[in-house]
Amino acid sequence: MFNHIFITRIKCLLRDKQLVFWSLMFPIVLATLFKVAFSNISASEVFKTIDIAVVNSKYYQENVGFKGAIDGVSKEGKDKLFNVTVTNEKNAEELLKNSKIEGYIYLNPEVNLVVKSEGLNQTVIKTFLDDYKESASAIGTILASNPKAEHANLVKAATTFKEYTKEISPSKGKPNTTFNYFYALIAMTCLYGGFSGLKEITDIQGDLSKRAARINMAPVHKMKMFIYSLCAAFLIQFNEILIVLGYLHFALKIDFGNQLAYILLLSFVGCATGISFGTMISALIKKSEGLKVGILISTTMIGTVLSGMMYANIKYLVEKSIPILAYINPAALITDGFYTLYYYNNHQRFFINISILTLLSVVFCLTTYFIIRRQKYASL
Amino acid sequence: MIVKVNNLVKRYKELLALDHLNLEVKEGEIFGLLGPNGSGKSTAINCILSLLKYDKGEINIFDKPMGPDAYDIKKDIGVVMQDVAVFEELTVYENIDYFCGLYITDKLKRKELVEEAIEFVALNDYKKFYPKKLSGGLLRRLNIACGVAHKPKLLILDEPTVAVDPQSRNNILSGIKKLNQEGVTIIYTTHYMEEVEQLCDRVAILDKGKTVALGTKEELKAMIKIGEKITVEIFNLSSSSLEKIRELSTVDKAEYRENTLVIRSKKGKNNIVRIIEFLNDHNIEFGKIYSELPTLNDVFLEITGKELRD
Repeated sequence: MFNHIFITRIKCLLRDKQLVFWSLMFPIVLATLFKVAFSNISASEVFKTIDIAVVNSKYYQENVGFKGAIDGVSKEGKDKLFNVTVTNEKNAEELLKNSKIEGYIYLNPEVNLVVKSEGLNQTVIKTFLDDYKESASAIGTILASNPKAEHANLVKAATTFKEYTKEISPSKGKPNTTFNYFYALIAMTCLYGGFSGLKEITDIQGDLSKRAARINMAPVHKMKMFIYSLCAAFLIQFNEILIVLGYLHFALKIDFGNQLAYILLLSFVGCATGISFGTMISALIKKSEGLKVGILISTTMIGTVLSGMMYANIKYLVEKSIPILAYINPAALITDGFYTLYYYNNHQRFFINISILTLLSVVFCLTTYFIIRRQKYASL
Repeated sequence: MIVKVNNLVKRYKELLALDHLNLEVKEGEIFGLLGPNGSGKSTAINCILSLLKYDKGEINIFDKPMGPDAYDIKKDIGVVMQDVAVFEELTVYENIDYFCGLYITDKLKRKELVEEAIEFVALNDYKKFYPKKLSGGLLRRLNIACGVAHKPKLLILDEPTVAVDPQSRNNILSGIKKLNQEGVTIIYTTHYMEEVEQLCDRVAILDKGKTVALGTKEELKAMIKIGEKITVEIFNLSSSSLEKIRELSTVDKAEYRENTLVIRSKKGKNNIVRIIEFLNDHNIEFGKIYSELPTLNDVFLEITGKELRD
């Protein structure tokens, strides 16, 4: 009997084009769109050399140290920081006015910066000048106390930065702010398993469809029917998740870290939560299937938006302002699960997420059970 | 008794859908449940099948109390619902196979039964068709095949011919007869009295959730006072002549509308002869004249004062 029901339910689920679209094609299309959109964002975030001017004056020409520093950061190569135009003050003022440069430097003999607005590029120029002043001051102080010190070595030592700490990621993954969007999208795909759950309940609950009323007349226990049908729905949904994960990883090059077993465990529990959520919606709401689908889509979308699918920072805002919402939102839990696997060096938070998801699945299943166990209906 | 319903009461809030309904269905018969829409036929069937909760009463099938967990009873029941209840995602064959498989676990036996069911409803050419590709009549046949494939001892059909073309209807009705001849007890609900006349051995007429009449067709017709219905085509009938016709001793009721005189005669012989004699004696010209025996509609009309299809 298990095989008979299981195989037929798989056929029904796979041949339901609307279901396959929402649970498989839609996430793939959306992921592709995300990838295109985020590629443009990344391109816009690539550092561009900053245009500056330096006023050519006798102080500038005499300050060998500063000239050397400017030459160092305007040399062609991957570390080039500035495009430097050495010009007179009037011309520098004109360039700044016409936004051809971000700022200009003049020496009197102190080093001064002139900008016309605040921004990232202006901050970079200022930071460079502050660093220079600090290093120049340190070298000056050392030379004053020890005139025999070798100038070249001093400059090298003062301008070289050394890291005394090392960052190690357990997943060896590079930080990427766009990954959270994809993790939220996987959460949405898991929760779209609710469509299968919804369909399964509609097909076994006698007051929801005529087919179900006919099935209720067969000599098969309703709970068996429920469990066998859910197994079929789960198998389909889990495979769809694997396809989506595969597409994200191999086609779109989204990194999930290297903890495959945990990724599969999270997907597994996520699918269970999604399907059981759909069964509960279907059993609870005695209205048309269209309305149920609408409720399922809207709750899932709200959940995934709050987990950062449209704006990554919303996840942190929710965690900060309404933490309880982050704990009962399955989409947030799944998203956070992927996030912790990628960034964290222990699994404590991951297992908290898994435990809450499991608990939610149990609550959804029990609610469904208490509704559908009523074997006679008030009306059909 | 195959089915015994005792004092069944079902309410939908304020509406009394079944009012102390009593029914008994004997083995091997085709039992008709006849009544207008809303009379409680489908409610009665759904209660009998333990799909619906009811407020009061007892239901026994195969001499055992019927309940949702009565799987030993359910395995011998076939149901054909009023609405087509099949899976859009499965082909004709797969649909029948699925429903049959819920009763029959042996694969080989099931295959045989599914083929037989397809043959029975003449859907051989449509085995691989999906339901949305089938016409209304073919869908109804598929609906029936899904209900009968496992060879039930008791088959319950709830208005299986609604919105069906005449050819499919005849096909369905002859199939039901055939099943009955093979020993299947059938409960057939409809609001088409012609179908009941054609099919059923015994009939219960339902109105407002009550059995208003129960018996064989002949017994029911014998219950009423009218004999035959005589219809005469007359192009010009004065009101005085109509009054005289009404006064005839054999006439129970007479109405003249749109050049047609309809007379409901009292029980007795030669009623049509008396009418012809009267028309000739009064020089009333008439065209076609024919007589019909009382129908179940007449029975319903006399008992409830309304037509079956009101």
